[in-house]
Amino acid sequence: MSGFKERMNRLRGGGSNSGSEIPEALADEASAAAIEEELLRSEGEKLAAKSAAAMPDLSEQEPGVDPEEAVWRQMGVILRQTDKGCYLQRRIQYPGVFSHGTHTLNEWRSAEEGLRKFHGSRGEIGEEAILYLDLETTGLGSGTGNVPFMVGLAYMESGFWVVEQNLIRHPSEERAMLHELALRIGRCSHLATYNGKSFDWPLVKSRMIMNAIPLPSEEPAHLDFLHPSRSIWRNTLPSLKLSYVEEERLGIQREEDVPGSLAPSLYFQYLASGDPSPLEGVFRHNESDLLSLVCLSVRFGLLLSGEIFNRIPYPEEAEELVRCGLWLEKMGLASLAEPLYLLAEGKEADSSLWLKLAERDKKAGNFERAVLLWQKVVCISGSRIGPDAQEACVQLSMYFEHRVKDLQQGLLFAEMALRGAEERETLLKRGEKRKHDAVGMRARVERLRRKAGVQHHLECGE
Amino acid sequence: MNRWTGKAGSFEEWLDYIRSDAEIMSNVTHWRTIPSREAQFAPLPPLLHQRLRDALSGRGINGLYRHQADAFDAVSRGRHVVAVTPTASGKTYCYNLPVLQSLLDNDEGRALYLFPTKALAQDQVAELQELANLMDVDIKTHTYDGDTPPTVRNAIRNAGHIVVTNPDMLHSAILPHHTKWVKLFENLKFIVIDEVHAYRGVFGSHVANVIRRLKRIAAFYGSRPQFICASATIDNPREHAEALIGEAVTLVDNNGAPMGEKHFVFYNPPVVNKQLGIRKSSVLETRKLAALLLKQGIQTIVFARSRVRVELLLTYLQELVRDKLAPSTIRGYRGGYLPNLRREIERGLRSGEIRGVVSTNALELGIDIGQLQACVLNGYPGTVASTWQQSGRAGRRQESSVTFMVASSNPLDQYMIQNPDFFFNRPPERALIHPDNLLILIDHVKCAAYELPFNRGDVFGGEKLEDLMEFLVEEKVLHYADDRWYWMNQSFPAHNISLRSAAQENFVIVDLTDSQHRVLGEVDRFSAPTLIHEEAIYIHEGVQYQVEKLDYPEKKAYVRQVDVEYYTDAQLAVELKVLHVDKEASTGELLRQYGELTVNAKATIFKKIRLSTHENIGSGPIHLPEEELHTSGYWFSFSEEAAARRSKNEMQFALLGIANVLVHIAPLYLMCDPFDIRVVPQVKAVHTERPTIYFYDRYPGGIGLSERLYQVHDELISRAKALIARCSCLSGCPACVGPIEEVGLLGKEQAMQLLTEVGGAE
Repeated sequence: MSGFKERMNRLRGGGSNSGSEIPEALADEASAAAIEEELLRSEGEKLAAKSAAAMPDLSEQEPGVDPEEAVWRQMGVILRQTDKGCYLQRRIQYPGVFSHGTHTLNEWRSAEEGLRKFHGSRGEIGEEAILYLDLETTGLGSGTGNVPFMVGLAYMESGFWVVEQNLIRHPSEERAMLHELALRIGRCSHLATYNGKSFDWPLVKSRMIMNAIPLPSEEPAHLDFLHPSRSIWRNTLPSLKLSYVEEERLGIQREEDVPGSLAPSLYFQYLASGDPSPLEGVFRHNESDLLSLVCLSVRFGLLLSGEIFNRIPYPEEAEELVRCGLWLEKMGLASLAEPLYLLAEGKEADSSLWLKLAERDKKAGNFERAVLLWQKVVCISGSRIGPDAQEACVQLSMYFEHRVKDLQQGLLFAEMALRGAEERETLLKRGEKRKHDAVGMRARVERLRRKAGVQHHLECGE
Repeated sequence: MNRWTGKAGSFEEWLDYIRSDAEIMSNVTHWRTIPSREAQFAPLPPLLHQRLRDALSGRGINGLYRHQADAFDAVSRGRHVVAVTPTASGKTYCYNLPVLQSLLDNDEGRALYLFPTKALAQDQVAELQELANLMDVDIKTHTYDGDTPPTVRNAIRNAGHIVVTNPDMLHSAILPHHTKWVKLFENLKFIVIDEVHAYRGVFGSHVANVIRRLKRIAAFYGSRPQFICASATIDNPREHAEALIGEAVTLVDNNGAPMGEKHFVFYNPPVVNKQLGIRKSSVLETRKLAALLLKQGIQTIVFARSRVRVELLLTYLQELVRDKLAPSTIRGYRGGYLPNLRREIERGLRSGEIRGVVSTNALELGIDIGQLQACVLNGYPGTVASTWQQSGRAGRRQESSVTFMVASSNPLDQYMIQNPDFFFNRPPERALIHPDNLLILIDHVKCAAYELPFNRGDVFGGEKLEDLMEFLVEEKVLHYADDRWYWMNQSFPAHNISLRSAAQENFVIVDLTDSQHRVLGEVDRFSAPTLIHEEAIYIHEGVQYQVEKLDYPEKKAYVRQVDVEYYTDAQLAVELKVLHVDKEASTGELLRQYGELTVNAKATIFKKIRLSTHENIGSGPIHLPEEELHTSGYWFSFSEEAAARRSKNEMQFALLGIANVLVHIAPLYLMCDPFDIRVVPQVKAVHTERPTIYFYDRYPGGIGLSERLYQVHDELISRAKALIARCSCLSGCPACVGPIEEVGLLGKEQAMQLLTEVGGAE
């Protein structure tokens, strides 16, 4: 062995040739430093007492003596033995009244009707038939070398909510853990995740293939709450990470959370040392993610059943109101959207939002409001016709030409649009696209002039 | 010849006219006529599926060429096959027929095709699609590469019967995501590797490891695919294919395709300065010959060795024939042209609309451009194999064709042009790979571990797996549990490993002269310290630039145009340390050895040398890191008696002269880039304490080049001697031992004397 290592080192000795190795080593250094910094920071804060409602389920725990086992026990982790092998498990039961931020877990029952709308054809969601899933993995992406070392699950069982976290002590325990996961997936009709459509679920499928474990032929209906979150909060929240969304919108404050990005390094630390303590933070992080995910599903369920604004106030910003409405319409709930638009109308917002709403109104045939919104955009922009105002002018011009058949008005707005396009044309000499804009505008103006049969003198000229 | 139009009545008549032109013929050192060859047919294999028979007869094919039938037969007997075929011999049928046959029998089957470039992959898909259409069956063929839109990728993974890709894509996109390709891997019946000769050296060694990984994944899904390889003519096709795929292979090399008469003309530009051994520019002579052909209306391909030469020749030719042909009928073709433009040119060549094309070796590989009638090679293409490939672009099945090879003044060209028998009688070069090069191997072991855990007792390459595994555990990328090694690291190893790493090591030269900075060119990593150190004068297309800043870590040199009357010459201190001698032999007074060594190279100082007088007008230090390379090498040393017979200075010139010749003719035995192998002469080497000439592979760990040279040592020395003896210069020129400025006035004589007295060759 040492002979081999010597040979490797000699070959790599060339300095510049060992290129690929150095950055990796540096990356290790960097992550070690980041962990240390994180831990130091949290050390200063006092360890918050666990929520009184959380009761670690210790019934299956075995007596043990060695220190490692003691640490596990302290964390509420037990050994799971199955006919396929062993792995570790931490189970925590929550009563329905447990409140996590704005919502309590009990509210899931009222949210269920709304949640059906994600997969209308599947009908009712049995309260024990939905499985919340969040993986912690050793790397990024869905490549075959990325191993889920922790499978976090949340589900309802006998009236309680259970957070079940499965951990492998080394990769050869993965198979046993996945077997149990496959069984559980087989029993559920719905799967709920955050970004699971592109990460957790493909990874689960890949791992099952790697371990030759068959999955049920019919996949569970998948509710990935990242997608509606993105539709609604894209511009109102600085990030769509679950930890942001929960803090800003679900009233959840995490105490001393270990960032998910550190999870792999902490797990490697555990693998190298055998000391479970670095994993405590990962357990807590994963547990918080799962609870937040349940609450987020409650939020969307109540939103879709039209009940949410009996519970919490309407969003403050027009942006969020309009995007929320648009999403509800996409989900087939136009009637719930209208009140949100009405509220938004009275608020201030970027003109692009009004264009968006106007576009929706135009499609829905609500020209009355669309015209008002376009005019609003033109007003906001003042004397300088920016790109949004130009678009509004074009829309107004089309509206007057085709719907009202008022060619004079149509021409007026077309000319305004042209003025805007030309202003920018001189500003941006190289912007090919803008230039085309002006060409299009000119064509429109000329056509309208011909149509109106009017010779008009332009102040700004050609 | 028509007196009025200057046009010959036929191709043969034109050749006669050339033969009678004294001026041209005085430069022709050899004219070889290779007689036409009749096709050798074999009946369609009895097993061949009826639909395939119908499709073939739809194309007017009622029998196969012998080699096609043999390939089909060997594949149907379950053998791995390598088919060796020259250009335009219907090579694709060698693999397409057995693959389609299998898919007709079993619709669930899958095949993976590997081509070294994307363009070749595109051609293949078109061909297969056409056959599938002729058979009216739903056999789906798709390319899967960087250009494949994400929207169709999923469909290709699940439903593509034949997936056409390249080794790089396999390495970084398919294998690490094999669980997305279950359908393919579970049903993988064939792996087709075309152009296997292109997978040599470092690149080939990487690809061999990618194939090891591919086989490992296939085995995981329970399939054991059969390999069908195709190669251009090389010396060791079977050995090479076996090294590449790690399986015993059946060789099919009985080419049965017909070929019209072929004229191969060796053309040496006339000497313009006998003393200095300077010949007329090969570019100008190439232009002259190509223009003669094009003016006759003969469809012609010109091969040049660099992109710059392609552009130069193209401009010349378009200018010369402007009154006869539109510029759009003479085109360039090289890397850097956009794919659409390339396709357009390929189409134009096939249809005959384009009458002439000037290309780099980009058109050497099997891209379909039809068959042309004449080929002009500007310079010897570097290997016998390439020369035949390029020349094969001209050659029709019925009519005769001609290839002119115009020699440049470099020693290898001069050797070839003066030794036609060597070219025609000798087998082409050997393709060498060394998949067990430790650095390459360990990279792929990482990738393989990422793809699937290793079990104790598994085999991957020639090293003991446990050693590799324990090393990687120590490096903290693997974790050992229950007799298995698992990937346990956040990184994605394939991203850090490029199969074509050599190319990525280049330094880019950026011109700061204008406000819009532009990239002038590239310099390889090993030449950078002496060519583009700070203050160096870098000459590009005859214009002088001074290097203002060399960003070594970023691999960029910033230069600005200058006008000065000197050039710079950097000194490179090279230290060689022999670590281990593996083999040893002696001939005459020469002792030769092969083993491991380390090379430390450091640029020390540079001198400014006046252009007109060559006097030294200043110098400066170079501060760049030392390069250390651990590799394999071969060296031979002269006896102490030989050393005692001459002064140290004389020995220095003699060794330098011999080294200059050897480094140029070494590629005769190797398929490699001239930069892949280095030579260093030392008057008193540390290891042997004698005058010694060292060769080493310029890749850490070595890739088998020096080892091969060690084997052919005697032949190498006698070739060198013959080259020096036959060179017409008085006392050294760039075509033999090097110019007088380098080896002194007596360099040629001393090199010759030294070689003769040690009797190393006979």
